[in-house]
Amino acid sequence: MNQYEKRIPIIKIHDYLIVPIQVDMHDKQAIQLQSQILEEIARTRAKGVLIDISVLEMVDSFIGRMLSGMASMAAIMDTSVVIVGMQPAVAITLVELGLEMPGVDTALNMEKGMEMLERKLNTRKIDTY
Amino acid sequence: MLDITCDFKSELLGKFAIETEYDIVTVRQTIRQFAKDAGMGIVDQTRITTAVSELFRNMYNYAGGGKVFIESGDVEGHHALIVTCIDHGPGIENLDLAMSDGYTSGMGMGYGLPGAKRLVDRFEIQSKLNEGTTVRIMKWK
Amino acid sequence: MKESFNVKNLKNRIDRIEDILASVAAGDMEARIGSDIEDDFSGIEAAIDLLINDLTDELRERAKVQKELESRLSKIQEQQKTILQQQEDLLELSSPVSKVWDNILILPVIGTLDSQRTQVMMENLLQKIVDTGCTISILDITGVPTVDTQVANHLLKTVTAARLLGAECIISGISPAIAQTIVHLGIDLSAIRTKATLQDAMIYSMKQNKRSEEVKALANISFPNENEG
Ligand SMILES: Nc1ncnc2c1ncn2[C@@H]1O[C@H](COP(=O)(O)OP(=O)(O)OP(=O)(O)O)[C@@H](O)[C@H]1O
Ligand SMILES: [Mg+2]
Repeated sequence: MNQYEKRIPIIKIHDYLIVPIQVDMHDKQAIQLQSQILEEIARTRAKGVLIDISVLEMVDSFIGRMLSGMASMAAIMDTSVVIVGMQPAVAITLVELGLEMPGVDTALNMEKGMEMLERKLNTRKIDTY
Repeated sequence: MLDITCDFKSELLGKFAIETEYDIVTVRQTIRQFAKDAGMGIVDQTRITTAVSELFRNMYNYAGGGKVFIESGDVEGHHALIVTCIDHGPGIENLDLAMSDGYTSGMGMGYGLPGAKRLVDRFEIQSKLNEGTTVRIMKWK
Repeated sequence: MKESFNVKNLKNRIDRIEDILASVAAGDMEARIGSDIEDDFSGIEAAIDLLINDLTDELRERAKVQKELESRLSKIQEQQKTILQQQEDLLELSSPVSKVWDNILILPVIGTLDSQRTQVMMENLLQKIVDTGCTISILDITGVPTVDTQVANHLLKTVTAARLLGAECIISGISPAIAQTIVHLGIDLSAIRTKATLQDAMIYSMKQNKRSEEVKALANISFPNENEG
C-alpha cells in the first residue's frame, strides 16, 4: 500500500472527531476525506471536528478550498470545524496565494483547538438555555 | 510552437509528464527537493511547491496533462530554479482575464495563476487557442 | 697575432651546463655548475651560476609574497563571512520577539522597515507564535518613522497569516504620518485590530486573556436540560 492509498484516520474522542492529515494528499484523496468526515459527523453525532495539519508542508488552492468547504458544510450540519497546527511557511504562502480562508476557525495546537470547540459549545449552550 | 525567450544559461535537472493526479503530488515533491538542494529557506520552498502545484493542476484539469521541465540557471545575477510547464490543450482565450484574481472558467476559485505569479520571482505565460499553453516560473533565494 | 683558447674538456662542461639549467627549470633551486677549473671558459660558468642565484632568489621572494597574499585573502574572506553573519544576526536582533505576559508576545519594531527586514521579522514572529503557543501578539511600530506600500502589505500579511495559525496579531503605535500614508496608498487595514499605543494594546490583550479564561470556566457549569434533545 503506498501513500496514495493510505486511508486518513478519523478518530472519535468524546464529542469530537480528530483528523490528523499526515500525507501530501492528491485531489481525489482530499475530496474523499471531505465526504468521509461528513459521514462520520452524521454517524457519530460529533459536536466538533479538529483537523490537524501540523505535518502538512503545503496547502494549495485545492486543499485550501477543501478545508474551508469542510468548515461550511459541517456548519450546516451544526458542527464546528477547527483547523489545527498550520505551519508558518504554509500560512504565509496561503496568504500570498490569495486564500485567506475567512470564516474558518484555526488553532495553534490540539489543546487550543479543543478549548476553542468547548468554548463554542458552551456559548451555544448559554444562548439556547 | 510557443517559444518563451531564453535569456539565461541553464542546466536541465529533470523532465516529467503530468498525466494523473498522483503526478501532481510526486512532481511537486521533487521540485521541493530541488529547492531544498538549492539552499532555499522553508518559506521559499513552500512558495515554489505551491506555485507549481497550481500550474500542474491547471494542465491536468484544462489540458488533460502536459510536460514539465526543471532547470537551474543564472538569471539577473541570481541562481534560479526554473520550471516550465508545457501543454497542448485548448489554450487560454483571454490571458488578462485568466491572470486576474477570482476569475475561473470552471469550479475553481480563480487564484491559481495570479497566486502562482505572486509566489515566484518571475512568471511568464504564453497561450494560443487550440494550440496550448506554456508557463515558465523562476524562483531564487 | 694568433689567439689561443685555453679550455679543458669543453664538451663535458657544456653538457653539465645543459643539465644544470634543466634541473633549475624543473624547480631545483640548489643546482649550480660550481666548476673549480680555472680557464677561459670558467668565467661563463661563474656568470651562469650568478644568474641562477638571482633567479632562485626572485622565485623564493615571489613564493613568499604569494603565500602572504593568500593568507591575507583568506583572512579577508573570513572577515567577510563574519560581517555577513553579523548582518544576519542584526536583522534578527533588530526584531526581538518576547513573551511579556502569559499568552502574550510583543514585537517592538524600531527603525526603518524595508521589505527584506519586514519579511524576516514576519517569519520570526510567526515561528515564535507556534513555538510558544501564545495566541495574542502585539506588533508595536511606534519606533517606525514611515512605511511604504510593500512594507504595509507585509504587515497586513503577517496579521492574516497569524490568524491562519490560530493567533491574533494587533498592531500598535501607528503614527499620524503612517496613518496618512496608509490611507493615501489605499491600503485597507479595516480587517486588522489596531491600537493607538502599546499600552492600549496590552490592556486589550489582557482583557482578551481574561475573557477566554472566563469562557473556559463556564465549562464547569452544568445545564439542567443539557441532555434533552
Ligand atoms: N493550462 C491551461 N489550459 C487552458 N486553460 C487554462 C490553463 N490554465 C488556466 N486556464 C484557464 O484560466 C482560468 C484561471 O486559472 P486559475 O488557475 O487562475 O483558476 P482556476 O483553475 O479556475 O481556479 P483555482 O486554480 O483557484 O482552483 C481557468 O479557469 C482556465 O479557464
Ligand atoms: Mg487553477
